[in-house]
Amino acid sequence: MILAARYLTKIYKPRFAMPWTPEPAPAIDRICFELGEGETLAIIGAAGSGKTTLARVLAGAETLTEGTLLMEGQRVDAVTSDDYHKNIRMVFQDPSASLNPNISIGKQLDSTLRLSSKLSDAERKKRVMQTLQDVGLMDEHAEFYPDQLSTGLKHRVALARALITEPKVIIADESLSSVDVSVRAKLINLLLKLQRERNLSYIMITHDREIIEHMCDKMMVLQSGRTIEYGQVEQILNQPKEAYSRQLLAL
Amino acid sequence: MSLLDIKNLSITLKTENGEITAVDRVSLSLADGEIHALAGESGSGKSLLAKAISGLLSDDWSVIADRMFYNGEDLQAMDYQDRRELMGSEIAMIFQDPENSLDPIMRIEEQLIETLPKPDSKGPFSFFRAHKRLRQSAISLLHQVGVKDHERLLKAYPHDVSEGLCQKVVIAMAIAHRPRLLIADEPTATMEPRAQGQLFRLLRKFNQLHNMSILLLSHDLYTAAQLSNRITMMYCGHVVESGLTKRMIAHPVHPYTEAMVNSTPSFSGQLIHKSSLPELRGGVPTLQHLPIGCRLGPRCPYAQKECVEVPALKRFKGRSYRCHFPLNLEALRKKDKQ
Amino acid sequence: MLRHEIYDDARMPSPLARALVEFRKHPVYMAAFYWLMLLFALSIFAPFVAPYTPDTQHLGELLVPPSWYKNGQVEFFFGTDDLGRDILTRLIYGARYSFGMALLIMTVCALLGTIIGVFAGMTRGLKSSILHHVLDTVLSIPSLLLAIVVIAILGPGLEQVLIAVGLAQVPQFVRTLNNAIREELSKTYVTAATLDGEKGPRLFIFTLLPNLLEPILVQFTTSLSTAILDIAALGFLKLGAQAPTPEWGTMLSGGLELIYRAPWTVAFPGFAILISVLSVNVVGEGLRNSIGKVKQ
Repeated sequence: MILAARYLTKIYKPRFAMPWTPEPAPAIDRICFELGEGETLAIIGAAGSGKTTLARVLAGAETLTEGTLLMEGQRVDAVTSDDYHKNIRMVFQDPSASLNPNISIGKQLDSTLRLSSKLSDAERKKRVMQTLQDVGLMDEHAEFYPDQLSTGLKHRVALARALITEPKVIIADESLSSVDVSVRAKLINLLLKLQRERNLSYIMITHDREIIEHMCDKMMVLQSGRTIEYGQVEQILNQPKEAYSRQLLAL
Repeated sequence: MSLLDIKNLSITLKTENGEITAVDRVSLSLADGEIHALAGESGSGKSLLAKAISGLLSDDWSVIADRMFYNGEDLQAMDYQDRRELMGSEIAMIFQDPENSLDPIMRIEEQLIETLPKPDSKGPFSFFRAHKRLRQSAISLLHQVGVKDHERLLKAYPHDVSEGLCQKVVIAMAIAHRPRLLIADEPTATMEPRAQGQLFRLLRKFNQLHNMSILLLSHDLYTAAQLSNRITMMYCGHVVESGLTKRMIAHPVHPYTEAMVNSTPSFSGQLIHKSSLPELRGGVPTLQHLPIGCRLGPRCPYAQKECVEVPALKRFKGRSYRCHFPLNLEALRKKDKQ
Repeated sequence: MLRHEIYDDARMPSPLARALVEFRKHPVYMAAFYWLMLLFALSIFAPFVAPYTPDTQHLGELLVPPSWYKNGQVEFFFGTDDLGRDILTRLIYGARYSFGMALLIMTVCALLGTIIGVFAGMTRGLKSSILHHVLDTVLSIPSLLLAIVVIAILGPGLEQVLIAVGLAQVPQFVRTLNNAIREELSKTYVTAATLDGEKGPRLFIFTLLPNLLEPILVQFTTSLSTAILDIAALGFLKLGAQAPTPEWGTMLSGGLELIYRAPWTVAFPGFAILISVLSVNVVGEGLRNSIGKVKQ
């Protein structure tokens, strides 16, 4: 097991809670799953079902209220552990927002690498170029600023940024949902190729049935923060237990 | 007779570096009561075309067409005022982001009533009676678009309700004048499959009950195919293929359509799990750097020497396409004989 | 395989560099910018440029009209005032006080305000909250009024004016920086950078600072125009630079009693203030427009 979640719970408490304010409902409530090497887990749910919160918690951008995360069997604190951040990487929904507009792409990748490794300048440069080529970009793209690239290329840069630390798990938060069909096909192929070559695991937050059907091994259906279904993709697609899952997947 | 008849429409933008032709000699005809999809990836010019039809383009853009008729009336000859009136009464438009089409600081009731046609009633208390009648028709409109809990929705502000409900309100506003043509610009792009299904059922219902023609814009061929009778496929400002939806999906003539169909797993049926999808090489060129000749040329897997010349629009068995080396023509011919 | 060097000769300018290119395309913005450059040069090299010293009294030539009038003299291009001092000379020296000093004090203010603003923006909780509320109180007083209060305590004089104007402008910078930092911190790319392992000063310098240059630049021009106006206004009210100093506002108030007999003693200083403030505003507006255009 590369990553295991045990009873993850996140409650957003108001900053100044009065005794009479009601306890807020948890954004995610006792979520458990296991993710093996080279596996892909799909997480689906309606808007407000807590899938983005779950993604942020798993990426370490948000503290947990309760529950534990195990990376390779070890308990980790996702927020503070640098090792965790290096191995579990997140690709955000909107690549234009997640790239710094005023810094060139090469510098952003280099900075990420500098923080996560102790490579020399020359080695870092080589790795940046290598990663750019891995995601199908050219060396020259290192000089570009994010706003000079098309959306499809920005998605690749965002992916490059996740890949450059040589992670084991990549969390993709709806990153393929708003892309054109031909770009999406390319990104799917790229993700699948990387999975084959490096035995990467993915957690895909999505509502796109095609992606689930084609790419994912396991899936989890969330409804208002709770897991209502969890299992193999074929099983849930063929015989969903809950009416809600059927609606979500438009079966 | 076709409701919308456009021939050789070009849209150009004047910039400092010369003119850019964003939409190049596009022809489109939409029969009365038809659901016509305009599919194409971002940058294909489909939104520009829709805006040109509705007259919403800013002055930087110039629109030239051989023919641009709506229901027998020449849209190009109309002045601004007539065009506006036509937009209000006969053509309605809905946009991608429903929350942005609604005023965030007004209750939905006020906004809905504002768009309704004013009833002409006389008498000392006509104002109050008129308001009551307007409210009644607002409620019946909401019922028509499938809203049951109208009391709560009318009192709510746009940010209180879900995106699907917002889109329903926008549609209710659009159909208040019983338009003959609805132009829907990616109405489901930000929605989940569940809300998308509901919306499509609703649009189909209006199409059948009120004979409302729909021009659906979509970047996703699969979404477009679910609702439409006919599809016009656009790429980089050219119409690459146009025809009946079912036939086009089964036997695409243009290589671009074929690539789109193949890279959507739901169309191609059984694909091996985690196998790579067919893809076109390269990316969509920007408007400033369009290739000469066939615009798909550099990306096309079947490209040959002749492709450096722009292919003319050809017709075959109710299908029009712009390609030197069309695919599947034999299959189409065979099917027609059967 | 993926190497072909077609992009080598195409430079990839940063968004800010592109904004400057956009800025240079507009002649009006550039004219205003060159005017400011000229003022800057004048305030440094005034003794070498000016024909006389500002205090030289030409006793035979009192209230000589500008040279293009019938009884004007070409030695006194803009005429002389009631003490026989050359107005052109005084205007050139005045650039030091009205523009140079404003520029100097605003640079200091920008540095100070940025530092405080960064602390306000990067801290959370009580400290930030207190700073916020104190600043809100200070900001609710108009800058000129605040400057007058400071002068009421410290007494009139040019140094006091500079301190007063500076004190009035620092909160503006703090507020701008604070808001800009809060806004940037809530953006996704900061979260992404934090997940990369950036924290503390590095997060600020590498990730945030390039995105803060725009608000700082724009705020700098707004504050500069306010500072020029305030210094001139306080001089005019006789609270700022005192009489023999050739500060534009002081010159304006000095010539006021002669406005019917010798309108040029008022017109030229007034004109100098007008054009300078206008230029600063045009440059500021131009920067904002160009940045906005590039962002589109």
